[in-house]
Amino acid sequence: MSKTLAIMEIERFAIHDGPGIRTTVFLQGCPLHCKWCANPESQKIGTKLLYLSNKCNGCGDCYRACVYKAITFEKDRPVFHRDKCVQCRKCEEACLQNAIHFSGEIMEVDEIVDIILKDKDYYQNSGGGVTVSGGEAFVQFEGFLALLQKCKENNLHTAVETCGQYDVRKIKEAMPLLDLFLFDLKHANAQQLYEYTGGNLEQILENIQYIASIDPNKIILRVPVLPGFNFDEQSINDIFNLAVEFGITNIHLLPYHTLGMSKYEQLGLNYDYAIKNKKSILKEELTPYQKMGEEKGLKIQIGG
Amino acid sequence: MAKFDVNGEQNVEVSIKIPSEKSLNEQLEIMELYTKRHMECSNQSNAYREVECLKVLYPRMFRSIETQDKIAGRIDFLPIGFGCVTSLGGVGHYCVFNKLKSFQASLEYEEDKRRVDVLYDYWLENDLKTLYCNEVLTDTTIGRFIDVEFPLIATARLSGMMLDYPKLLEKGIGGLRKDIEEVLKHNPSNNFYIGALGCLDIFVDSAEHLRMIAIGQMEYCNEQRRQELVIIVKGLEKIKSDKPETFHEAIQIVWLFALLAGVINYGRLDDYLGPYMARDIDSGLITEEDAYDYLLRLWTMIENRRTTVNGRIIVGGRGRKHPEEADRFLHIAMKVAKNCRYVEPQFTLRFDKETSDQIWDEALDALGAGATYPTLYNDDVNIPAVSYGMRVDEMTAQQYVPFGCTEFVIQGQSTGTPNVCINLLKLLNIFMNEGIDPMDGKNKANGCVIKPLASYNTFEEFYEGYKEFLNYYLDLSVFAQYHSYEVMNRHVSFLFSSILTDDCILRGKALLDGGVRYLGGTNETYGNINTSDSLWVIKHLVFDTKKYTLVELNQALLANFEGYEQVRKECLNCDKYGNDLDTADGMANDLYEFVAKGVRDRGIKIGMQYFLIVISNNQLNTEWGNRTAASPDGRLSGMYMNPANNPQGGADKNGPTALLNSIAKFDAKYHAGSVQNIKFTPKMFNENRFTIKQLFRTYFERGGCHLMVTVIDRGVLEDAMKYPEKYPNLIVRVSGFSAVFVNLSTNVQQELLSRMLYD
Repeated sequence: MSKTLAIMEIERFAIHDGPGIRTTVFLQGCPLHCKWCANPESQKIGTKLLYLSNKCNGCGDCYRACVYKAITFEKDRPVFHRDKCVQCRKCEEACLQNAIHFSGEIMEVDEIVDIILKDKDYYQNSGGGVTVSGGEAFVQFEGFLALLQKCKENNLHTAVETCGQYDVRKIKEAMPLLDLFLFDLKHANAQQLYEYTGGNLEQILENIQYIASIDPNKIILRVPVLPGFNFDEQSINDIFNLAVEFGITNIHLLPYHTLGMSKYEQLGLNYDYAIKNKKSILKEELTPYQKMGEEKGLKIQIGG
Repeated sequence: MAKFDVNGEQNVEVSIKIPSEKSLNEQLEIMELYTKRHMECSNQSNAYREVECLKVLYPRMFRSIETQDKIAGRIDFLPIGFGCVTSLGGVGHYCVFNKLKSFQASLEYEEDKRRVDVLYDYWLENDLKTLYCNEVLTDTTIGRFIDVEFPLIATARLSGMMLDYPKLLEKGIGGLRKDIEEVLKHNPSNNFYIGALGCLDIFVDSAEHLRMIAIGQMEYCNEQRRQELVIIVKGLEKIKSDKPETFHEAIQIVWLFALLAGVINYGRLDDYLGPYMARDIDSGLITEEDAYDYLLRLWTMIENRRTTVNGRIIVGGRGRKHPEEADRFLHIAMKVAKNCRYVEPQFTLRFDKETSDQIWDEALDALGAGATYPTLYNDDVNIPAVSYGMRVDEMTAQQYVPFGCTEFVIQGQSTGTPNVCINLLKLLNIFMNEGIDPMDGKNKANGCVIKPLASYNTFEEFYEGYKEFLNYYLDLSVFAQYHSYEVMNRHVSFLFSSILTDDCILRGKALLDGGVRYLGGTNETYGNINTSDSLWVIKHLVFDTKKYTLVELNQALLANFEGYEQVRKECLNCDKYGNDLDTADGMANDLYEFVAKGVRDRGIKIGMQYFLIVISNNQLNTEWGNRTAASPDGRLSGMYMNPANNPQGGADKNGPTALLNSIAKFDAKYHAGSVQNIKFTPKMFNENRFTIKQLFRTYFERGGCHLMVTVIDRGVLEDAMKYPEKYPNLIVRVSGFSAVFVNLSTNVQQELLSRMLYD
């Protein structure tokens, strides 16, 4: 039996996570807890119940199906007591409206690779490949390495989308198996970063520096631009300066969007960040930053 | 004899026809004269009668030349007349009874109405399609086109003739005449030859008639139009006997011949017109802008014929004699297709691995602009497939051309008309109910012994039983197809088409009388994917996981899942075709091969060159679905069925690569055309052009035979349903044809909406 990975989703024909046509494998588990996270169901490893209230017709079938009393029924709507849920998925089966959905499953690496290989020729013709995203891929390090190893055995281009919060020795080990790092750098101020994400800037920069010292073209810095956090000239400028310092030229500025909001509702969580910042940032709003970066000799792309 | 409604509609008619130019009185007179001539000639040979009847129609049925026309020739059709196909007039000596009835209703005087009654009664005994229907239709198994209560429908027609236009251009009318006169010398009593010469006379009379109209119009026009009319007049004079020399003359002769032949597909225009266009441009006779203008006006005239599902123009691909000139034509035609955005002609691009990036980029530009054209055919797959399927060598197969909704023929050498359609899903329902169609409670098994559901112990037994029942219907289908040729041949010669179809002149025989080199035909299959998905559900839920018995599942179906919502949910959750899963795709392929090989083998056995399935679909998937009961794939009673070779709308959930991989799994050599839709938003399609190009190319490398692409914004179709007046020109690809969205019926619109849109 091959190694296993806890995954959130496998997306085929992914065209925004690196070059060409790709398959993106979203793994679960992340060491950060960014306030704006758009994939909250990927933060922790395990199966999560998602409840889509807009599909619910209040029939009560889920409540009747749950033998663990993890669902009560109040004002014609189910209330989920997630601490009692054992993920037996009986409520999902019972719901005829498809208003209940469980996210997250354990898959063998070989199974994942089988799916990836179905589109191998599309990758080759379009300059695409595989992207491992998350969560944070390095959290499930052994499985992640095994997956990369298999991809390389099949001559696939590999990319990882990463936040960089882990020991540099892991990067050293994974580096030969990776063609591209889509590396999140959210802030150049350690205090700010820690406060909003729990991230350790020193460790993140050590990882970036290591990759850049070997091949700065293997890395694209991705900067999610977020209101109230780094959506200002100073913050972005500081990040650009770090890029210049490391000899990295490719930067993607990713404008904040609120698409993750419904997922918080579905998970029964509060999305405080989005409540405070209801408006998405428009691409055009980032054009001045693009110019600013280009003046420093950086290649700036807005959007992934 | 089975009862059937002669007044029923015979064809999909989405595009609205242009009304006749003739007064009602004159129309009535012509129909009476035609009927009289038909009656008088009843003891003569087919060919003689055909010519005499055609002489009643032509040149009289030509319309005036419109001011935008650069070549001459527009024809009106009456409810009585002569033709090849149901989409223009009718088949052979025809009467379209419902149109005759509405014509009658528009008359003022009772005595005129009575005159129509006389015609009506005469044609009840003489309309070719009715004669066929009388012989072939039954009360429960074979219905008329398009009676969706039946699992099999059949008609007589000669759709999709693609004539040997290169021969027409090379020889001219004079050359053809000489050839026929020569063979007539050796065989002076050959009625076919005599009739063929009569047709050439009709051609000449028609050219002269149009020439006089053009001369007449010169008096009342401006100088620029006068110049155009001078060219038209000269051209018409020239083509009466000489072979064409200019681009103008070449288009004119082809157009006029196609009109008179009643042919509505135009073949490989780039290859046969390209050299004329190139020569005229190089010699300075016309500019590239003139050439563009000629094509635009030709496009308009083709659009104005309004056949809904035909009007094929094919460019590109292997086996062209003049690839360089043809490509010059292709580039201009591509611009026309992009800019004018008509529903017809159905602009068709053949390509292979060698096709240039420039051509690909032009094609994607046109598609990205929302033209729905060109529709894409992969020669690397189709040529070897046609070679096997039609049992011809590869050189011959290179001359394959799709007509109508996709059916392949060999240009100038074969017939391929689809005269039968079969609903596989309705047959599954009937099979599951021991012969009773749950839709109307009628027994449609005609004595076939079908075991009760409870008696099947394995999936294989069940599937074998269904296949056996299908075999009965496949037998009926090949009989109905072959007999359509026999009945047509008994009454008509299709002389114009025969003149330009190998080897009619050589053999001295009309095309259905043994003249055509390759007597082929096609069988349209419907509900293919609903059926294979249903079979997979039965295998999985009943036999593998034993969640339900067959009887329990059928109870849920008979209740249209009412009170069995949980069962439906599980049916819907089973693996579905279109997601690149070996399970459901494997079942789809197995059923496909069974049906396709079954049809092909029967065609060979009965003596045809080929009889192949087409997975083509116009909007019959919706119409037939409306009269097909609930099915194990989770489809509700009356819901549309899957379009052509695509999954049921919304069943494909793994993105475009998975969809295309599923589609590419079928071996093309067992069909004569299978079409597949894919739909993108303009943002996705146009902002990721390289990715899209590589997506398509990879699909084609994998063995994809065809693709048609709609590029449309999310929400637009929904909005157009609410506010049709805002979208008079919104074109969508239905399946084998494009249409103005707001002209489609609500059911068909909903089916289009259900399809996955990649964003």
